Amino acid sequence: MLLPFLVGTLLLVGLPAVMSAGLAFTSYDALSPPVYVGFANFRTLAADPLTGIALGNTLFFVLLAVPLRVLGALALALLLSQRRRGVGAYRAAVYLPTVIPDVAFALIWLWVFNPLYGPVNLVLQGLGLPMPGWLADAETAKYPFVVMSLFQIGEGFLVLLVGLRGIPHQTYEAATVDGGSRIQQFRWITLPLLAPWLLLLTFRDVVVAVQYTFTPSVLMTGGDPYYSTLFLPLLIFEEAFDRFRFGLGSALMLSLFLLTAVAFVVVYSVFRWRGYADDI
Amino acid sequence: MSTASRLGAPLVAALVAAGSVGALPAAAQDPSVVAPAGDVSFMVFGDPAELVAYQELVTSFEAAQPDIDVELIHIPDQADYRQRLGLDFSAGTPADIVLINYRRYAQFAARGVLEPLGPYLDQSELVGEAEFYPEALEPFRWMGELMCIPQNLSSLVVYYDKALFDAAELPYPTDHWTWEEFLATAKALTLDTDADGRTDQFGLGTEASIFRVAPFIWQNGGELVTLSDRGLPIRLAFDTPAAREAIQWFVDLQVVHHVVPSAVEEAAEDSESRFQNGRTAMFLNSRRGVPTYRQITGFDWDVAALPQHTEQAGILHSDAYCMPASAASKDAAWKFIEYANSAPGQSVIARSGRTVPSLVEVSQSDAFLDPAAKPANSQVFLSSLPTIRAVPVLPGWVDIEELAGEELERAFYGNASVDEAIAEAIARTQVFFGPGE
Repeated sequence: MLLPFLVGTLLLVGLPAVMSAGLAFTSYDALSPPVYVGFANFRTLAADPLTGIALGNTLFFVLLAVPLRVLGALALALLLSQRRRGVGAYRAAVYLPTVIPDVAFALIWLWVFNPLYGPVNLVLQGLGLPMPGWLADAETAKYPFVVMSLFQIGEGFLVLLVGLRGIPHQTYEAATVDGGSRIQQFRWITLPLLAPWLLLLTFRDVVVAVQYTFTPSVLMTGGDPYYSTLFLPLLIFEEAFDRFRFGLGSALMLSLFLLTAVAFVVVYSVFRWRGYADDI
Repeated sequence: MSTASRLGAPLVAALVAAGSVGALPAAAQDPSVVAPAGDVSFMVFGDPAELVAYQELVTSFEAAQPDIDVELIHIPDQADYRQRLGLDFSAGTPADIVLINYRRYAQFAARGVLEPLGPYLDQSELVGEAEFYPEALEPFRWMGELMCIPQNLSSLVVYYDKALFDAAELPYPTDHWTWEEFLATAKALTLDTDADGRTDQFGLGTEASIFRVAPFIWQNGGELVTLSDRGLPIRLAFDTPAAREAIQWFVDLQVVHHVVPSAVEEAAEDSESRFQNGRTAMFLNSRRGVPTYRQITGFDWDVAALPQHTEQAGILHSDAYCMPASAASKDAAWKFIEYANSAPGQSVIARSGRTVPSLVEVSQSDAFLDPAAKPANSQVFLSSLPTIRAVPVLPGWVDIEELAGEELERAFYGNASVDEAIAEAIARTQVFFGPGE
């Protein structure tokens, strides 16, 4: 049963990843054969200010988006976990933005954050508040990326919804009998029993968030204004396919992979310290 | 598609490319040996109106050469087109005929993936080298060999909205106006019509790039690049007094005079769209905009020459038909290129308004100068030819333009001083210049 997936993953993900890692140590323009250059690409990347800018932008996005996305999914799952009239429609509404094609989703948000004609700034103007330049202003350009990512949390929401339904009712009933408040029940029952799911979600979200910015940055800003939305995936793409520097692009890709691995270890360590990591 | 698989796609493309590099054929064939027949693919960019012109060209060619079918591949956006072109070359599967700008073909020519077309042109019975404007052919010579056949040679001109000039009771621009007159006109046409403190109509629309600022640098007696003793470009020359002064003047159009939209206003609606909607009076563009602007029904428009300063100068815009060395049916591909650049072929595209034909004969015919078709002053594209100049042709020019453009844009929108932008532009682009030998 699993064989097709295993073969597909090995051929379409594993093998290209290994070959890409190999290219990281070459100078390769895709039009002539690669030339081995050792660690020269990594030295070039270390000396290029754009690498640091892209890394900083990516970290900014991950550190802001991941907690907000996980907490948002948790809040919505708690809110919509009870069987109530019409709850199905609300759950569908939460999930719906996740299935909108990435390109269409990015174009919608390009309009939403239009600095003069977009609904966000028109509302702000109506309230007499300042109208930020959003994507046109280096100071604010990254925030729309975070906001739009918060509307694509359907998968995390579903996972937590399932997790919540797996918690036996009797546990809550026993707590109620013992006089436990709703907050105490959340703190001492819901949260510990959901912890393995939250860990899984956080792991997954770190991976998603590192790569999430690619389509929106290509379509909405192209890295502008002045590199304020130049995230690592966009820089990798530009190095390889705009500038034919596949070696540098691969070296960046390898660095991004290692960065994600480090993030994994950090998240795992935090949860392990809290004693939840062995539950998954 | 998940983000993971999105990033996987470039990897796969790279691997495909790795496997196919060795398969690229390189030798030119004698075009007279094999009878041309079969299918060829032809990739173009442009607005829907431009696409119609190329569709007409293909129809016209297929009527003349029934044995050859042409598949037209259309990528609307120019930036997407460049990316697609790069990806196709990387994968070893470019279209058989591609349009490439003279600023960008060198990166492909230097890597040997283009078929030199000079030998083909020499043997052509349909069209000869002497029939082209030399200004169009020269930039496409790489190491002395003609690599591609240019379809056009536009200069940068000022498109202007006659209705807005009439409303402001301003005279239309002449072909001999000055920087001062240009600025005064732009100021008079920049209006806050509803007095809400926000500009509703701009006098001018332009992008901030090397390509737009270059003619003004030349007009001020400056140079874009410094040349080595052997005449090869070795660095950007933005820091020379004449170049710096021109850049400052260009930047001041936005930062000081506000006759051009700010970064926020440009992001809300770009200048070309504002021009088409009758809310920007003048717009800098090449001939490329004509097919789209001909669809404007709300007002009358025309073109004028760029304003002049201490010297006269314009900047060359030229795209050419190039043949990747990997083209499967080179003879059939050449037949199409040959036809597209013969008088009948160039006439088809010229009638659409898309090009200033590179063939002298067609440029002086009604196909281009039709008095019934806009712009009425098409002659300005020809009269500016004696002073037209080209940017350097270098494999790294694409990178130089991109990096310097980022810096110029920063200054243009008031986020850096001109001196800061110039220093950064020179420092960041230096690596892409050759040793000058």
